[in-house]
Amino acid sequence: MNICLDNLTVNFDDRFQLDEINWQLDDSQHWVITGANGSGKSALAAVLAGIGEHISGTLSGVPAKVGIVSFEAQAELIEAELKKDDADIMDVISAGTPVYEILNPGNSNQQLIDELVEKFSMQSLVNRAFRKLSTGESRKVMLIRALASEPDLLVLDEPFDGLDAYTLEMLQEYLTSLVETVPMVLVLNRFDEFPEFITHIAYIDDGRLQHQIDRNDSKAYNELYQLLHLKTTDLQVPAADPETAIPRLDPAQPLVHLNNIDIKYDDHKIIDSLNWTIERNQHWQLSGPNGSGKTCLLSLITGDHPQCYVNDIFVFGFQRGNGESIWQIKQFIGYVSTALQWEYKVGTGLRNVIISGFYDSIGLYTKATDRQKKIADEWLALLGMSNRADVPFNKLSYGDQRLLLIARAMVKHPPLLILDEPCLGLDDMNRQLVLALIEKICAGSETSVLYVNHHPEDQIKGIDNYLALEKK
Amino acid sequence: MPNNYFNTLPLREQLAQLAKCRFMDISEFPDGVEALKGKKIVVIGCGAQGLAQGMNLRDSGCDVSYTLRAAAIAEKRQSWKSATENGFVVGTYEELIPTADVVLNLTPDKQHTAVVNAIMPLMKQGACLSYSHGFNIVEEGMKIREDLTVIMVAPKCPGSEVRNEYVRGFGVPTLIAVHEDNDPKGEGLALAKAYAVGTGGHKAGVLMSSFIAEVKSDLMGEQTILCGMLQTGSLLCFDKMVEEGIDPGYASKLIQFGWETVTEALKYGGVTNMLDRLSNPAKIKAFDLSEELKQIMRPLYNKHQDDIIDGTFSRTMMEDWANDDVNLLGWRAETAETAFEKTPAGDVEISEQEYFDHGILMVAMVKAGVELAFETMTAAGIVADSAYYESLHETPLIANTIARKKLYEMNATISDTAEYGCYLYNHACLPLLADFMKGIKTDVIGRGLAVDDNGVDNARLIEVNTALRAHPVEAIGTVLRGHMADMKKIV
Ligand SMILES: NC(=O)c1ccc[n+]([C@@H]2O[C@H](COP(=O)([O-])OP(=O)(O)OC[C@H]3O[C@@H](n4cnc5c(N)ncnc54)[C@H](OP(=O)(O)O)[C@@H]3O)[C@@H](O)[C@H]2O)c1
Repeated sequence: MNICLDNLTVNFDDRFQLDEINWQLDDSQHWVITGANGSGKSALAAVLAGIGEHISGTLSGVPAKVGIVSFEAQAELIEAELKKDDADIMDVISAGTPVYEILNPGNSNQQLIDELVEKFSMQSLVNRAFRKLSTGESRKVMLIRALASEPDLLVLDEPFDGLDAYTLEMLQEYLTSLVETVPMVLVLNRFDEFPEFITHIAYIDDGRLQHQIDRNDSKAYNELYQLLHLKTTDLQVPAADPETAIPRLDPAQPLVHLNNIDIKYDDHKIIDSLNWTIERNQHWQLSGPNGSGKTCLLSLITGDHPQCYVNDIFVFGFQRGNGESIWQIKQFIGYVSTALQWEYKVGTGLRNVIISGFYDSIGLYTKATDRQKKIADEWLALLGMSNRADVPFNKLSYGDQRLLLIARAMVKHPPLLILDEPCLGLDDMNRQLVLALIEKICAGSETSVLYVNHHPEDQIKGIDNYLALEKK
Repeated sequence: MPNNYFNTLPLREQLAQLAKCRFMDISEFPDGVEALKGKKIVVIGCGAQGLAQGMNLRDSGCDVSYTLRAAAIAEKRQSWKSATENGFVVGTYEELIPTADVVLNLTPDKQHTAVVNAIMPLMKQGACLSYSHGFNIVEEGMKIREDLTVIMVAPKCPGSEVRNEYVRGFGVPTLIAVHEDNDPKGEGLALAKAYAVGTGGHKAGVLMSSFIAEVKSDLMGEQTILCGMLQTGSLLCFDKMVEEGIDPGYASKLIQFGWETVTEALKYGGVTNMLDRLSNPAKIKAFDLSEELKQIMRPLYNKHQDDIIDGTFSRTMMEDWANDDVNLLGWRAETAETAFEKTPAGDVEISEQEYFDHGILMVAMVKAGVELAFETMTAAGIVADSAYYESLHETPLIANTIARKKLYEMNATISDTAEYGCYLYNHACLPLLADFMKGIKTDVIGRGLAVDDNGVDNARLIEVNTALRAHPVEAIGTVLRGHMADMKKIV
């Protein structure tokens, strides 16, 4: 067997489309297809069972006998059964097809069926009408039927869903015993359910096959784990700490008001008479080429630019230069940038890095409260890094560091979150991770996001104010 | 010649002042910068300390401006540029000093007498004059107008660190003091504490000390272990390696970056940790060498401390100032001509561990210098906390400067006073160690021990380990480093 999807675009009743899939599978491999809900992972599995209308590209090498178990196939079968019932042309009330007939639609190996029926503890149900079964029971029937058909390729879409612990373990074991016999494609969205024998993982997002990963590539595997974790769980953004709460701001005032800003170095103007107001609950995107003054502008807001004392700047209730400290300003801001990441060269553990966000410090110099530790742990869970709470920050991959710094910036639920090119220097997978996290934040909190970026492909849903700077 | 203030005090008072040093907990700073609120701070000089401290104070909500000597403003010197580009108001003494509630004198120590004499008549009645080093008050006996409050806030780090640590949300260890003869309103301590908070020092640990203890310990540390030992060690180790046929490029690199690398281990875990980085046989070797070095150098350390305490050191240095710095400039030129200074670091790879393995003698020198300086200072009545900061704590910071541009950079970064003391030490120490160096071979500098196996005698190893850990600088170091637990700077 050598299945090949070559630039294949498949349409499913105009409801969904898989786009330009390039994918190859052979006998020696066992794949998991994974992705968020609605990403197209079931659709991709279904393509192997001949479902969907091919718009372009080619599909070749699919063996004759594909055993497929999926909710769609299950629903179809049940619907067909119910139809039989409706079709009362015979004027007799149909008893419905018994389970044993469904199990062996023709020439399957009856001995194997019996064996599996026993394994799944279905003996008492074989004479029952298929349509009378519970969802879980009918699922088992589908599984037995597919397994007993001795297919050349086994496609199982969420086979473990709804199974009790005993059956789940039994099925995992059984599948493991088939490893040498039949290549498998499993659709799964929980990493902890990935069986040991899986050799490859395909990650689908938005109808596109985004990543194909070798199970042995542990770095890619971990990243995928996090990405999936962020995409699929609907964890809430952890709450703020009531004890280190940020002072309330006057809701009538803007968060930031820059009035007629001028910045120049050695007679070279970087910013020329700029006015900018960020109101509460506005999300902004700031863009502009290198050297257009983006970072300079941000540092005027954060108080890191010395010229903030000689410009007309109003931030978070303070007119700058009137005896406020930069820590009074910074408490309202969460901040992430590549520069911060460079500076954050500490061996502090991950939990403490997140907690340092409560104090706007690089490194943690204060004893954290139990509550802060708990909140930090919730963030680590959200990022899928719970098992790494005490790992030194500088031992983390570049992409993980970025994620952690975003959590650090958000931990106090700042009124303003500044993300200065948060995807800069990240590979595709990590970019998607960061964007997924930011979208979660945009959707799940009252924080205004100021997003600095010049890559049109890294859009964030929910941002509708734009400021574009030009090179002087 | 001005009067040495310390020498005018009765013995009992001298001892009391020297022993003044108390570690302050962060909980002792509940009022933050309150005591400076509404006050106008004017900084004289915008150099290493001036710029860093001023920026920190401004970012802490204080009102800061700079006054520079007229020529610096007229010629738009670097100090003028630094202040203006950072958005500060800059003015002449006449323009700004009369408006100041607090004046920070952050000019070079050598200029203090002239600067203070120039600004004192312009200062407001009841204002405060602050220093970051007590030389002018203690060694030159500068008399300050009676209505003025005189304090000291001395960060125990170069200016760049003062700023960087603040930006990270932290600070650097800082020593504060009030000149008791000048505290007419009893507000000196409150002002010094607020100032330490404004620069972020309270987060890293504040030592409440005296002008005298600060000066006598600061001078001792900088001329012996910090700068003197590193300079002497560099020259001796380099010449030895070249003499023994080691490639000069390699030797140059091993020394230039070796100090930084081995003292990095010192910073994290004291002398014990630095020696723990060596193999067991190498550790015992380094220990033995350092014992020998300590024995040879102890009289020199004692002499430096004695000269500092009784004012001989400052007197001779001031004589050199008066003599157009003939000695200082001569020594500076001489250092520039040394073989080590003139040989660029070779393009060879040296791993972090190799700096230890091939630099056993350097490790021994650092250990000997740190321990001797600490022992001498505490024997002179200086409190352990203070002695720790002035010896072990600052060694890695000075080593970093050598890594950047060798001895030139070190001597350019440190104060003139430190530089003068460094050369003084170097000139006495080089001949002192001549005999000792004759017995040195490349096994302890340049090539590493040529042993087939790393076996050592258990009893001897236990002895060495116990001795290392039992040294008093290790006990105080453990406590003080604990206060800076997370101040982990990597790379
Ligand atoms: N460096 C350290 O690591 C360190 C650490 C702790 C404490 N301190 C103390 O901090 C103080 C300042 O040291 P620093 O290292 O910051 O000095 P620095 O970098 O040499 O700066 C000195 C500043 O004073 C100005 N200046 C020089 N001569 C002057 C004069 N005659 N009159 C008026 N201004 C003059 C210079 O500007 P122009 O020449 O342009 O006028 C320069 O801006 C000293 O008391 C020192 O002991 C230093």
